[in-house]
Amino acid sequence: MLAVVVAAVAPRARAADLGLPGLLAPLQIHGFVSQGFLVTSANDYLADSSRGSFEFSEVGLNVTLPATDRLTLGVQVFSRKLGPIGDYRAALDWYYLDYHWRDWLGIRAGRVKLPFGLYNDSSDVDAARTAVLLPQSIYPAQNRDFLLAQTGAELYGYKDLGGVGGIDYRLYAGTIFLEVTQQPGSPFTVLNLDVPYVVGGRVLWLPLDGLRLGGSLQLLRLDTDLLPVGSTARVGVKVPATLWVASAEYLVRDFVFAAEYSRWLVETQSSNPSVFPPSSSRSERAYAMATYRANAWFQAGAYYSRLFPNVERRTYPDGVQHDVALTLRFDVNRYLLVKAEGHWMRGTAGLSSTLNGNRPLSALEPHWALFAVKATASF
Amino acid sequence: MRSGAFIPVAIAALAAAAEPSRSGYVVIVHPGTGVARIDRKLLGEIFLRRATRWPDDSPIRPVDLAPDARARARFAEDVLSRSVASVRSYWQQRIFSGQGLPPPELQDDEVVAYVLSHPGAIGYVTPGTPLNGAKTVALD
Repeated sequence: MLAVVVAAVAPRARAADLGLPGLLAPLQIHGFVSQGFLVTSANDYLADSSRGSFEFSEVGLNVTLPATDRLTLGVQVFSRKLGPIGDYRAALDWYYLDYHWRDWLGIRAGRVKLPFGLYNDSSDVDAARTAVLLPQSIYPAQNRDFLLAQTGAELYGYKDLGGVGGIDYRLYAGTIFLEVTQQPGSPFTVLNLDVPYVVGGRVLWLPLDGLRLGGSLQLLRLDTDLLPVGSTARVGVKVPATLWVASAEYLVRDFVFAAEYSRWLVETQSSNPSVFPPSSSRSERAYAMATYRANAWFQAGAYYSRLFPNVERRTYPDGVQHDVALTLRFDVNRYLLVKAEGHWMRGTAGLSSTLNGNRPLSALEPHWALFAVKATASF
Repeated sequence: MRSGAFIPVAIAALAAAAEPSRSGYVVIVHPGTGVARIDRKLLGEIFLRRATRWPDDSPIRPVDLAPDARARARFAEDVLSRSVASVRSYWQQRIFSGQGLPPPELQDDEVVAYVLSHPGAIGYVTPGTPLNGAKTVALD
């Protein structure tokens, strides 16, 4: 499919280079390949990690074509494997038509990455950060399909504010297409899964060089019909969710300091409360991170991340996840890098009961460690 | 008295003329671009592709030096307040999230050729590079 896309757009790029309209940047092709390894001292996390797992792979290839000086077309194909997620199937990660009318106003239509927090829209780009795993409290890898991209439209822009910096904003509305997947051992069969809307935006204030301050808000609803095992009476379930995050990042010379605080309100409304009881939960998520680039080939980073899935029940160990991470990154050359990362974890929130033999989270090992190694090539 | 006043003025004028090269790079634009001076903040926004239009609404076409050029490092630190590697991270985030493309990266003589052949182009080169008619721009 990618070859077809490239073949389709390449002649136009050559025409642009030849002067029709003549002065545009040529078509660009970029890609990356990542392979990682995860191992935990106890518990399975993201994959079958307690025995060590190589099911931690990502491949992406994109083509971007400036069709005119205001209109850009782009598409990225992405494939991944992370434990039970992905199965190496290639999918259109994003594609868009981007009309950049003014610096303060542009519009993108298509499948567009969701701007939530500082790093959600680039969370697949291993080469663009120091850490192997972004703080999982705010950027949970297992929720990627829900949080990474929406199909619809987005307004965006940057407005210079003179002596007080500038404002960068993105506002979007659309839907998220999800595949119906059955959870092994679940008492329900999922008949359908729809997101009738996802709306939101991110506003960042850039008051000085390297400083970004701002917030993101996302509202969405997930609708599903469930069929209880051994029954023919379906249950309609609606899950409206409100997510927000406050963000701060300061890049000064070779240091980057970042901190984010977030709350997610998720309600569950049921057409048959006796079979599927309604619920409501408010989670709290936060992290603080610092990275340092010592030279062209070495970076180090550390963060502390904290997750409370339900702020009304901060019980230990299943109601909390504390994560202290330390990363070393080595850039072998401009195209290849290797990272090693250790995590000291306290609490079992964020673990998957399904990945751990359907044992309740309260029965899992509360003190555990994760070690990850990842190599990425990009161009 | 009169000559005494002239000398400091002349020194200041010479210093201003020499300012671009003293900083380790010379900013140049297409000769048809009506820009003689440019604000350092605007220059940074241009090279991060936040500012894409000149005041007359014509497109700005920035062109960068290759990553290993010494003037590239000076420019990145002086204008963008970050290292060349940080600039690369910035562009990787944007490239792979579909948010934009970086300026082309060329050698000194290619930057001059690009600027001369692209109306609205702006670039910078190592001091001493033959400019062949490209217009130099002072930094505010």
